[in-house]
Amino acid sequence: MKLLRAALVFCLLLSSARVHSESEPAGYSAAGLYNLANSYARAGKPGMAILNYERASLLAPGDPDIQANLSFVRASAHLPAEMPDTLDRVAKIASPFWMSWLGVFGLVIVGASVVFGQLSSRHRLARAAASVLGVTMIGLTFCSAVALGSRLHEGVVIAAATPVRVSPVPMGDPLFSLPEGEKVKITAEHEGFDLIQTRAGRAGWIANSNLAPIVPR
Amino acid sequence: MSGNHIRVIRRAAWALAGVFIAALAFADDPLVYATIQPAQILLGESAQFTITNLGDGTNPITMPVVAGLKFEIIGRTREVQLINGTTLPSSSIVMRVTPQMAGIFTIPAVTPRAQPLVLQVNAAAGGTSRSSLARPAAPIPPPILSGASIPKGVHLTDDGSAYVRLSVPKREVYVGESVPVEIEVGMRSGFVASLNGLPKLTDDNFALNNLSHQPERTEKLINGEPFVLLTWRSTLAVVKPGAFSLSAEAPLTVKIRTRPKQESSLDDRFGDPFWQNLFGATVPKDIDVKSPPQELTVRELPAQGRPADFHGAIGTFSITSDVSPTKADVGDPLTLRMRVTGSGNFDRVDSTMLDHLDQWKTYPPKSSFNTSDPIALGGMKTFEQPVIASKPGVQELPGLTFSYFDPNTRRYETARSAPLSVSISPSLADSRAAPQALATAALADNKFAAGLRPDHVETPAMSSLIPLYLQPKFLAVPTIVILAFAAGWVSARRRRGAGERQSASDRIASRAANRSLAQMQAAARAGDVGLFFDSARSALQSLFAARWQLAPEEITTAELEDRLGAESDIRELFALADEAKYSGRKLTATDFARWLRIVRRQLMSDKAI
Repeated sequence: MKLLRAALVFCLLLSSARVHSESEPAGYSAAGLYNLANSYARAGKPGMAILNYERASLLAPGDPDIQANLSFVRASAHLPAEMPDTLDRVAKIASPFWMSWLGVFGLVIVGASVVFGQLSSRHRLARAAASVLGVTMIGLTFCSAVALGSRLHEGVVIAAATPVRVSPVPMGDPLFSLPEGEKVKITAEHEGFDLIQTRAGRAGWIANSNLAPIVPR
Repeated sequence: MSGNHIRVIRRAAWALAGVFIAALAFADDPLVYATIQPAQILLGESAQFTITNLGDGTNPITMPVVAGLKFEIIGRTREVQLINGTTLPSSSIVMRVTPQMAGIFTIPAVTPRAQPLVLQVNAAAGGTSRSSLARPAAPIPPPILSGASIPKGVHLTDDGSAYVRLSVPKREVYVGESVPVEIEVGMRSGFVASLNGLPKLTDDNFALNNLSHQPERTEKLINGEPFVLLTWRSTLAVVKPGAFSLSAEAPLTVKIRTRPKQESSLDDRFGDPFWQNLFGATVPKDIDVKSPPQELTVRELPAQGRPADFHGAIGTFSITSDVSPTKADVGDPLTLRMRVTGSGNFDRVDSTMLDHLDQWKTYPPKSSFNTSDPIALGGMKTFEQPVIASKPGVQELPGLTFSYFDPNTRRYETARSAPLSVSISPSLADSRAAPQALATAALADNKFAAGLRPDHVETPAMSSLIPLYLQPKFLAVPTIVILAFAAGWVSARRRRGAGERQSASDRIASRAANRSLAQMQAAARAGDVGLFFDSARSALQSLFAARWQLAPEEITTAELEDRLGAESDIRELFALADEAKYSGRKLTATDFARWLRIVRRQLMSDKAI
């Protein structure tokens, strides 16, 4: 009876969170960002196109159209292809929304199994199986969080041949330049400039008018 | 013989005697000549000066003295040449000539009949190439300016060897103002051995800026004597107000005569260092030569009417401004330039340009100064300020101002530039730009258009791009779940612990009861009444002590009578135990069985509880 009551409360909580998140005004949708990226690509703006594909990919990491168009635009802009790792593949199993609740459900299963184990020594096999299932769910959510969490501090160069400067001032000496559409890691911000690090490990300052973070500030 | 003949013969005799004396003089005079190689050098290089004496070499050869040139003997040679069957001994002195400044130097002739030599020294950065130096053409000697009398402002030293002249164009200046000055050091050829340092001012309240290490060098006749003139041009800076008497001084090494002036009048008459050196009648001496003092009044800048943006610039200035590019996107840096031209103390020319401007982000300006004037009094200072527009549209940058003090009008002036217009377009970084706007400008025929997968149907929007599991408000859900299950686990753990502790206590009590019953059965079989009742009483004391939360010693017959009543079997058992202990009472097997049954029932009933 208690378990039934807890499950009912959990379902109510989940539905309220879903309604709450969908009732927010004017936000982002994977399809909207994808269509916007397609528009930029057709307009010959690979930087903005890649930026919006990356944003759409955050909301729907498993969408094959997003990945296909992203790869196509990157290749057309002569940018190197990105090789997905294991965490990326795990993140594509489901959207972050469902991954979030999967993790919570895994927590509930593990917690119930542990508490029930304290109350009774019966059904040991069933309790062990439930614990394994719950831990797996939590693990999937964790992997997805690690894979997508790293993108929160990344940005996309949106101007051609963007100079990377040695100091965060417009007159700073240029170190090297980055092509439009290049994805970089943003490590700091100062007075209208972002300190970035490329995949090759090179660092420098870019005017934030030439760089758009994947997750808007 | 007539008187005419005698007169003619006498004249002829005098002429012959003169010719004879002259012939003797020329016959005794060895052939001495000098050469210099190369005739053109750069400042920092050296030339080789060789004096050759074709004769017996017994005549002394002295070092030439030229202001600005340093002579060092680096070798002597002596040889015998065979010319037309005649042996001719010769000796040479080889000297290294190192110039101390650039210019054209005249090295005096080593004999009265020889020609002076000319050495041209070019400044190292003057651009004279090696190839031009290698040309054999002899340099043209500088013209010697004639001057019949002492120029105005020149006061020769007592021995007439040198002078210093300070020329200041104004008698009234302002604190901080840069005033051009000219310092001229005149050194009589052959009398001044060297200049030992740069000229300086005698008053510490003044400073000379940009004093050149390469003065202008000329030669001039003053009172009929040849002088080498070195001229420095600089700017004078004043640090405090007041009335001052200013003069300049220069350290020199001069040659002082060791003989009375009357005796050395021949030297001056010849006016040639050769003769002075030939007689060896001078010694070097270090002196400081000062210019006549000049009165200078220094005034404070007026406090009245001083503009807020005045930074200390004094002079005559004008400004212009421009911005580039004139078309940009929001967020793109533009460069706003202000050029200040004129003459004055450019080291105090400063400006913050646009310090704060709505809808613009401004940065501190940088400045650079270009001057073609060696004393940096005139030129152009350029200020460059990065500015970034934060709003699209046609924007206007306001005109710039620059305030300075004009010493001619004796008041503060403000130069102004015209406003500048720039066109700012929206930035591409605006991620929420409507796709429809792009669609209208879409270019279908670009390399990105072909190969794209089609658009999707719009779906409900999320409030944030941050994944739900990384949003702080969602993290409350797993936190609550974890806390709830942790609380449940703790509660269950406590309940299970209490049950386990009770079970352990029961097990211990059960084992003690069984042990007591076994002892009673053994005592019954042996007929030992005392041991039987002792075991029974001990077991019951433990039982009731645990039940009533008392010490076992406190369970007495009286206590049992109070709690269970006087008719209780247990109270009677305790009484019999005391009696059996002291009276030696005997029990039948039936009695043993009865009391054993009563005790077992008590112990078992408690165990069930």
